[in-house]
Amino acid sequence: MFKFRVLKFISIVVFAMALLLTGNVKAQSGLDLRINEILVHNDSNYVDDYGMRNSWIEIFNSAYNSVNMAGMYLTNDPKDPKKYWIPTGDPITKIPSQNYLVFFADGKPTRGILHLNFSLEDTNYLALYDINGRTLIDEITYPPVKADVSYGRESDGSEKWIFLEKTTPKANNYTGVVITSSERFVKYDPYGVGMAVIAMSVVFLALILLYLIFRNIRKVYAIDLRKIFSKHEKVVADVDESNDVPGEVTAAIAIALRLHQAEYHDHEEAVLTIKKVARTYSPWSSKIYTLRKLPR
Amino acid sequence: MEDVGFLAFVGEHMNKFFAYTAFANLTAGHLIMICIGLAFIWLAITKEYEPMLLVPIGFGILVGNIAFMPGFQIGIHESGSVLNYLYFGVLQGVYPPLIFLGIGAMTDFSALISNPKLLLIGAAAQLGIFGAYAIALLVGFSPAEAGAIGIIGGADGPTAIFLSSRLAPDLIGAIAVSAYSYMALVPVIQPPVMRLLTTKKERVIRMKPPRTVTKQEKVLFPIIGLLLTTFIVPSGLPLLGMLFFGNLLKESGVTKRLADTAKGPMIDIVTILIGLTVGASTQATTFLTAKSVGIFALGAISFIIATFGGVMFVKIINLFLKEGNKINPLIGNAGVSAVPDSARVSQIVGLEYDKTNHLLMHAMGPNVAGVIGSAVAAGILLGFLS
Repeated sequence: MFKFRVLKFISIVVFAMALLLTGNVKAQSGLDLRINEILVHNDSNYVDDYGMRNSWIEIFNSAYNSVNMAGMYLTNDPKDPKKYWIPTGDPITKIPSQNYLVFFADGKPTRGILHLNFSLEDTNYLALYDINGRTLIDEITYPPVKADVSYGRESDGSEKWIFLEKTTPKANNYTGVVITSSERFVKYDPYGVGMAVIAMSVVFLALILLYLIFRNIRKVYAIDLRKIFSKHEKVVADVDESNDVPGEVTAAIAIALRLHQAEYHDHEEAVLTIKKVARTYSPWSSKIYTLRKLPR
Repeated sequence: MEDVGFLAFVGEHMNKFFAYTAFANLTAGHLIMICIGLAFIWLAITKEYEPMLLVPIGFGILVGNIAFMPGFQIGIHESGSVLNYLYFGVLQGVYPPLIFLGIGAMTDFSALISNPKLLLIGAAAQLGIFGAYAIALLVGFSPAEAGAIGIIGGADGPTAIFLSSRLAPDLIGAIAVSAYSYMALVPVIQPPVMRLLTTKKERVIRMKPPRTVTKQEKVLFPIIGLLLTTFIVPSGLPLLGMLFFGNLLKESGVTKRLADTAKGPMIDIVTILIGLTVGASTQATTFLTAKSVGIFALGAISFIIATFGGVMFVKIINLFLKEGNKINPLIGNAGVSAVPDSARVSQIVGLEYDKTNHLLMHAMGPNVAGVIGSAVAAGILLGFLS
């Protein structure tokens, strides 16, 4: 009964861990791309390679590996997800990790692959679709915006959209002072006591769990699955018990056998063969040059 | 072109040549560092203090402190130089996990598996890391720098290099040299602390001989160890992953060739590269600063705190253990992961008080637990401070 309970416990733990694992998996793919910032009315803002001012869209790669946008779709029409196909074969569409790509929504696709065949001024909707044209990666329905004011995520890739104080094409949307996690940590824990307590607790937790497992692991070995699932439980148990020879007995038998064999060995006829080992001298095989002291 | 005499021409070029020599560029700092390098080599060869580490580091210090004219892609800190390419493995944290692979392949965790409560001593000795972190904060180091300095207390060179490459790349040289120097000085630093904290009665405690460990347990240890520790601290994955992988290669019994390579030629090659480049990174112009001196002082303090943590923890848990099951507190120092030196210190100090009480086998338990503990601690620091 105890063994059944142990098995049940193990299976529950494994199942719970599997559930926990599947709950928060983050892909490192095109699905990590985000529409990060848009400027709908561009009067005196960012210019394109032709010196023209048009609406623009900033895409942010939130993944920790580079992502190629080639073959994906941008659209301003929810009914037409494949409105603008991003051409393949151009390295410009590859966005490095935590970096940006800006498209110009000027309705002039003949000017290059970063120039879309629609304008943001036509609708208030923008979406990015994966290469199959069906998987929606990101979409935004934007409110009416003033000229030269961009609408974007509060910080790169975050959920909250706001009117940004500064337009930031190809740059971080958050323009305030960035406080690193270590600075934030030390603000609340200036003497390192909190860190010592938390970190020591985590180290102890990890090693205590390891301790508990290895303290009880022999009990898990003791579980005989065959015995549990076999209909002839009694018979198998008897056989197992009879095989359980203590270590001391095994050692005693081994010593006795060795002594016995050694005794015979003394009376054995010995054949001694003397064979000359020819070894040509070479500095490469010389012990003098190659032998080194082993570490103590 | 101006026509000058031959002697003037030669003289001009000789002057130029002299300007390129180390004699012309030598500073007092270079001389000091060369003396330190020579001291390391002397300690390694005559005293045999960690020769495998101190010879490459000491020689690396000499290499790094040959004064040269900058701009010729010679120095380790100059982009494009050969030494800079070799140093890449340190800066990007490539070498430490490879060393951990070798350590895993040569470590026998039997002592730990047979008496798992020794694992907790390995955890307690990590107090040195966080004690040094707190003191470093107090003396004005930034939090990230304090974290990188604190890890010296883990007494684990590869871990110290790995963490400092992430948190404070500018301090790698000082931290690595400090960590390895104090690891070599474990036989000098630890015994006084151990004697101070223990009574004569405690020093002669005899521990039960460890039980036999089955192959299944040995095979399961790296698998369970990896899953458990990295589920809690995923940022320790590069070190812990390689440590347990190396150990599985050893214990599985079916990958002997791989294990032999990991614990033999591979770890030797990486040790040479890491030792030489870390030594060479201590160029006087970048190394001899007040910060480096502070790091050395904090390193010594962290080792003392770590030893204190380990020994005191054993004394505390002894209060709850029955007579016969008690642990000799002289193995508490082995919780720092300077393998196997700190365990050897336990043995030597133990024998001073009882010639027949051999503690080495027992001390190996907390010693290897210290390796796991310091890698976990590094993962926590990385998670909090990066």
